[in-house]
Formats: sequence, structure tokens, C-alpha cells
Amino acid sequence: MFVIMVYDVGEERLPKVLSIGRRYLTWVQNSVFEGEISDANFIRLKDNLSKVIDKKYDAITFYILRTTAYLKKENLGVIKGESTTII
Amino acid sequence: MKKTIYIFSIGEIKRKGNTLCLIKENGEKKYVPVSEISSLMIFGETTFNKRLLEFLSSNEITLHIFNHYGYYMGSFYPKTHYNSGFMTLKQCEHYLDYAKRLILARKFAEGSLRNMLRNVIYYHNRKGGLSSTIKFLEDASLKLREARTVEEVMAVEGQAKEQYYISFNTIIDDAEYHYEKRERMPPKSRLDALLSFGNSLLYVTVLSEIYKTHLDPRIGFLHATNYRKFSLNLDVAEVFKPIIVDRVIFTLTNKRMLDPSCYMEELGGVYLSEKGRKNFIEQYEDKLKQTISYERMRVSYQRMIRLELYKLEKHLIGEKEYEPFVTQW
Repeated sequence: MFVIMVYDVGEERLPKVLSIGRRYLTWVQNSVFEGEISDANFIRLKDNLSKVIDKKYDAITFYILRTTAYLKKENLGVIKGESTTII
Repeated sequence: MKKTIYIFSIGEIKRKGNTLCLIKENGEKKYVPVSEISSLMIFGETTFNKRLLEFLSSNEITLHIFNHYGYYMGSFYPKTHYNSGFMTLKQCEHYLDYAKRLILARKFAEGSLRNMLRNVIYYHNRKGGLSSTIKFLEDASLKLREARTVEEVMAVEGQAKEQYYISFNTIIDDAEYHYEKRERMPPKSRLDALLSFGNSLLYVTVLSEIYKTHLDPRIGFLHATNYRKFSLNLDVAEVFKPIIVDRVIFTLTNKRMLDPSCYMEELGGVYLSEKGRKNFIEQYEDKLKQTISYERMRVSYQRMIRLELYKLEKHLIGEKEYEPFVTQW
């Protein structure tokens, strides 16, 4: 499945969330990740994140698409990061 | 499905923050999600250290290296995680017992032939003029059944392939890709360059898939096992070459997706340039992801390769006889 992850967390926990995100998804913009992920790894990702965030204060949202068939992406301005397999 | 990452950039690959990081020449950092990668294919000039290899090994990622001309140079094949003495013994048994080896060799050649035939029939229906090739390939399938040695099987397959490549002159519209003789080391024509590059990509894809099964890539059946090479991946790749590599080539050439800047001439041979390789890989990856229906399931070609290996495992342990995958169209 394809996941878009957006997060809004306290400054002191930001680096932790960033480094966990990078293990599973591609960084696209500040506080935004996206990418293809397996069901098992998605559970792992959520589990790892819930260990570092403060549940009373932080917010993380996942937009989940079963396939990218209905996804259309548009960009304005610079493209900061994108998920490609040819680098 | 885990992805294959192709690296063309110059720079350093590092383990950083428990994930992979590519630091390009200009200092730009590119992070790659480690848990969604199955293999790395390295074309560019990169440096890496033992720490990275350890990290790849623990994440079960195979690393493959290609040289300046796009030739496959070698792999870092991590400590196999699916070790099975039983399967290795069975594989050896099927290699050492000549009758059993011949059966498998014949099956691989048959798969290859029948898939070539599908391609030729498809283009015969669209463009015509290939009936003699169809006849030749059908005869070759019959001859295959009579082959008594693995060498004979290879000879029949080789002759069929020669005829099949001649039919490319009808299939491909562009006169730039005229086929006369298959030459490798170095490839002499543009078509040779495409075939060589495509085949080596497929060998590596199959090798990466073998890593995910209990099979040992060193013991092949059609291609003899020798002292230095992986050979099982060559066997299985034979079945898929016509439907993956050749079809990618037809798309690239008939849709005119390659221009002269996609090639480079060096050392008396024709090779794909970086741009050409990237174009090829894009189409190749699309092809691997393309799904077909197989036994009422939607299965990608990449997955088909793995299923083929599972079928082979079943054959080796004597559960079900191996039948090569033959495309329906």
C-alpha cells in the first residue's frame, strides 16, 4: 500500500520521528513522508513512532491508499524530495 | 513489494540513522528507506565500507555491481538466511543424476522456446511474414524432446534463438536495429547492446529472487555448474528473457524511446550510455511490476519469477513436476 505520513510533533521529538520515518518511507517535505510500504512494516512504523511521541501533545496522520492508481500528485515550486528507484 | 534501487550517482553510500544514506558529490544527502529495499544495483562510482555491508546483510539486501560498460561484475550476497541443507542436497541429487538433470534442462529450454514462440506469433498476427520462424520454433520444440544430452538441448535452444533473433528484423521497424549475428564481448550493434544489458539485468533480478528462497544459485541444470559462477539464475532467466527483456526492447525501439545519445561507442563495441541505461531500467521496472492473471490471481512478473523458483523447489523435493511458465499471449 501507499502511505502519506504527516506529523506535527514537539520540537525535541522531531529528530526521532524523522529518523524513524526515513527507515520506512521517503522524505518529501518538512514533516511529510510518503512511499510504498508493506502491511507488516506499516505496523512496525506505527509501533516505533508510538514509543517516541507524546500522545497528549503530538499528532501524526497517515493517508492510506491501497494502490497509487487513483493518486495524482501535483507540485508547485521546488521538489524537495521524491520517491524514485533510480538515483 | 520490496523495491530495487538503481544507483547512478557518484558519492558515498552510508549507514546513517539506521537507514541508508547516499551522499552525493555535491554534499546532497538522499535517504533511502531500508526496510522497503530488496536489492541495490550500483552503476555509479560509489564508496562504501564494511559497516554498510554488515547493515545490508542484517537487512537481507543483496548488492550488485556493474562496471563502466554496464557489465555485471559481482554481488555481495549476504549470508543466506534461508539455509537448508535438505534443499541443497536435493539440488545436488538432481544435478548428479544425469537423467534428472536432463529433465530439468529440457524444461528450461522448453519454457524459453515456447515464450519466444508467443512473441513471434503475436507479431505474426499483427505484421505477418513470420510463419517460417513459427515453423522453425515448433520443430525445435519437437527436437528438444528427442535430445539425449544437455549439450544437445543447448544446441537446439541456440539454433532456435538464432532464428528468433532474425525475426527481430520484422518485429522492430527501425532499420538501426538490424540483426545479422549476435555478438557479445563486445556487443557490436545497438541491438546487441540492448540484449546484453537487458539479459544481465534479468540475471541479477533472478539472483536476488533466488536469495529469498531455499535454493542455491550455484547449482544450475541447463547451464553447467562450474568453479566460479552462479548458474541457476541463468537457467531460470532463460524462461523469462523473451517475455521480459525482449518485450522491453520491442517497446523501446518501436516507440522510438532511444536516440543516438543513448549509446556510446568504446573499445570497438557499442554500449548503452547512462541515459540509455536509465531509459531501459525505467521500462524494465515497469515490466516487472506489470501484472498478469495467473491461476485466478493478479501476479506481477517479478512475483512470477519467485513462483517459478517455488515450482522448482517442489520439483526437487518430488512433490510436483516442474512445468515452465509460458505466457498466454
